[in-house]
Amino acid sequence: MTITGAGTADWFDVKGTVPTPKNAKRLKDGTIGLITGLFLLVALLVLGIVVPLLSPFEVEISIDTPFLPPSGTYWFGTDGLGRDVFLRVFSAVYLDLGVALIGVLIPFCLGTIVGIGLAVSRSKTLNAVAGSIIDGINAFPLLVLAIALIALLGPGLQSVVVALSVTNWARYARLARTRALVVKQQGYIEATQTLGYSKPRTLFKHLVPNVSSETTAYALSDLILVILLIAGLSFLGLGAQPPTPEWGAMISDGRPNFQVAWWPVIFPGLALCWAGVSLSFIAEGLTRRERDVKS
Amino acid sequence: MTATPIGSGVESAVRAQEGEDGPRPQPTWEKVLRRTGRAIIVAFWVMVVAFMLIRLSPGDPVSAALGADAAPDTVAAARKALGLDVDPLTQFWNYLTGLFRGDLGASLISGVPVTEMLRTNMPVTLWLIFTSVTMTLVISLPLAMFIAMARIPGLPYLFRTLTAIGLALPSFLVALILLYQFGLIWQVAPIFGYDPTFPANLQYLWLPSLVNCVVLVPVLSRVLYSSILDTLEEEFVETGVVRGVRWNRFYWLYVLRPSLAPTVVLLSYMMGVMVGSTVILEIIFALPGIGRELVTAVTMRDYPVVQGIILVFGILVVFLSLIGDIVASLLDPRVRLT
Amino acid sequence: MSVNAMASESSDVLVEIRDLVIGIQRTRKDRLLIVESANFDIRRAEILGLVGESGSGKTMVCRSLIGTLKRRSASIFAGTIKFDGMDLAKLEERQWRSVRGSRIGYVPQSALTGANPVMTVGKQLGEAIRRNRKRKEKDVRRRVMELLELVHIRRPEVVYDQYPHQLSGGMRQRVMIAAAITQDPDIVVADEPTTGLDVTVQAEIMKLLKEIRSELKMSVILVSHDLALIDEVCDRLVVMHAGTCVEVGSVSAVARTPLHPYTIALNRSRIDISTPGAPLITIKGNPPAVGEWPAGCRFSDRCDFVQQDCTVGRNPVLVEVRPNHWSACLHAERLGGTSE
Repeated sequence: MTITGAGTADWFDVKGTVPTPKNAKRLKDGTIGLITGLFLLVALLVLGIVVPLLSPFEVEISIDTPFLPPSGTYWFGTDGLGRDVFLRVFSAVYLDLGVALIGVLIPFCLGTIVGIGLAVSRSKTLNAVAGSIIDGINAFPLLVLAIALIALLGPGLQSVVVALSVTNWARYARLARTRALVVKQQGYIEATQTLGYSKPRTLFKHLVPNVSSETTAYALSDLILVILLIAGLSFLGLGAQPPTPEWGAMISDGRPNFQVAWWPVIFPGLALCWAGVSLSFIAEGLTRRERDVKS
Repeated sequence: MTATPIGSGVESAVRAQEGEDGPRPQPTWEKVLRRTGRAIIVAFWVMVVAFMLIRLSPGDPVSAALGADAAPDTVAAARKALGLDVDPLTQFWNYLTGLFRGDLGASLISGVPVTEMLRTNMPVTLWLIFTSVTMTLVISLPLAMFIAMARIPGLPYLFRTLTAIGLALPSFLVALILLYQFGLIWQVAPIFGYDPTFPANLQYLWLPSLVNCVVLVPVLSRVLYSSILDTLEEEFVETGVVRGVRWNRFYWLYVLRPSLAPTVVLLSYMMGVMVGSTVILEIIFALPGIGRELVTAVTMRDYPVVQGIILVFGILVVFLSLIGDIVASLLDPRVRLT
Repeated sequence: MSVNAMASESSDVLVEIRDLVIGIQRTRKDRLLIVESANFDIRRAEILGLVGESGSGKTMVCRSLIGTLKRRSASIFAGTIKFDGMDLAKLEERQWRSVRGSRIGYVPQSALTGANPVMTVGKQLGEAIRRNRKRKEKDVRRRVMELLELVHIRRPEVVYDQYPHQLSGGMRQRVMIAAAITQDPDIVVADEPTTGLDVTVQAEIMKLLKEIRSELKMSVILVSHDLALIDEVCDRLVVMHAGTCVEVGSVSAVARTPLHPYTIALNRSRIDISTPGAPLITIKGNPPAVGEWPAGCRFSDRCDFVQQDCTVGRNPVLVEVRPNHWSACLHAERLGGTSE
């Protein structure tokens, strides 16, 4: 009896190149994006504090000739009223991001509570009516509904926040309700009930965390949209009013003279992109990391 | 709407009905009928929301519009003209019956009926939406397909980074820059004006549509990209290869079409965002659409016009997402409409 | 007896797989081997079972037979797959087109995802028929009906216009079998064709494959991790473990007198329903992960009969221990009597 099988010579060549088990210390997917995003965001927030503190100029007071191009003194040039664009761009950081954050947090809390409430409640009529109103509100483009509400409330950042709260909660409510209904169906919720846990305990220990993890993920991407929306409304003259330093308002302000002086438009625009891109990278990084863990 | 924008949700909706619990056919016509019925119900609530919006305003909209020092009888006349002088239920009834007669009220400022304004301005907005969607699809489909199939190392990474940036770009800034570059420097696009006749209007529409693409292509192409990747993992692609299907048929029937449903559903969801951004674009590009009318009416506090236009916008979005969902279900019979 | 002798034994050999090495080229120098040594024949009109745990490389061997390794970024590094004068291991994409479908049919792993969800059953089958020669629409339809009846689908005229997701899992898999045999291939590759189906449906599918073999005289290569399911329909078995064929032989020989400890363990781990209360035996440890194979015999870590010489050197190769019964165990002779 002779041995059969591996008869060919290239056997050993192939075998010789087997090595390297999986690299265990590999960075998770998306980590680089997440770190870049966080770095950009922190940098923007730091500049938002440092620049107004150290700048020798005043935000709302004319300091020199209008439309001076960027130079050693005025890094981003001066705007149509002779104000320092560099200072104004970074003075707007906390205003823009803060209003956006409030504009997301209020609808987020409101919508999550309503959504979970609807999912938990047994009333069919309540669910039908509330569900229809939620659908009705969601049907409107957010910007259009916000514009209409501002028509009633009068322009201003406060109106923007109110308009966002009144309209955007419905998106969170629908998301929370759908998610809560799914979670409710899952085995472990039923298990907690058979174990005799109290209802509030089930609700807050199991239902709320599960639902809010989903709505939080949405809130992060929503924050980008809302930042752009607030700047957009201000650009239309419905949000922040001059002379408040706000990116959208500044862009709108500089627009008529864009051909003469690009800097009062482009720099606030870049700051707006900076904020958006940093959040976008963070959101992207987080989702990719999560997917990497799962697979 | 029935479909959620989050990719995983759509996929699980698609997969949920693939269980082993036997066949549960849902004929196409039944699906479409049900979905249309739902759209009609939502449209009704859109009317309700549009109606309530003005009534819920703090203070009196009429005196706000006419100014605090307007003569009392002018205010009273305006109230009567707006139908605000009766109880809310009668108001709602009048509003609804008015809608079905095609009466949306008239402008407080110019006295022009709102329907008249819509007749002249609506086509511009519709054209802008149509060209934007077409351009977005024409760019997104090949782009996503190429990146998913080309297997060039590093390309998906670049693609994801660029789209992540694209997601965060403000459309009005992009519009300003493109208008400056194309309209003033290169002079290849008109900077204002509009021609309502068909091929001539494209000259005015292509640049604003391009701006909409900057916003929509990143969202759409990345959803389509990951959807194609999922499809390529599926075994039926293997079956198609073994079956020896010709390449053009293969790419369409075995790769693209099974991946399209989440994208179309997302597109129909994105309609809201896009209709919103057309408002800003109409202002920047000075297009005489209803978005521009809306902003004018808001600054003038012309309530009947505001109410009429947001109603139309709401119904438009309901209608567009209805079409989107139906197209998705025709493309992929697994999609369930509720 | 040499490798070539393995073939010359029987003149009715259809496919001859020798020293097949399949893996993934991760970087220019870094290769990950998934299949290291596949050696077996497929004979004319036989049902050949390919058994092994997940990760043993069964699916990769199947893919090499239908030329779709590249889609999973894997490729053949060495070895030959002789089929009708061709070497499938070296075939160009263009040449594959004349082999796939018409010479080798394929039944996908899962009935759930194996059928194209956006095409009706009639369209999918018609597409496969129409491929080579132009045919009239009516003829195509008639042929599809014939095929559907052949795989015992009730009311084929209804099923013709249905989408896969409207069918039950068993029906779907019947349709996929019909699709695989449309062009009268010589071999049908069925990669775990009963995944996710009910036990009773599994048995029906097995019966169907057997019928097709005897009616159409096709060879069937049937992949499974479930020895109990396939040993009733198969003529011969190939047992794979960690990328290596460890035992090849007729079903009766492999089942009754297994010559490899892995096969013995597989046999034992079957749930014995005829003796109530019999202990449930499992194979100890997990199959070694791809790329982390031990030195010597890949089964040595888990083997009950392990000897010192098992853990050194290279992976043992197949030896014809009995006539037409090969084993890759160094101590196969001594195992001869230890079966159940």
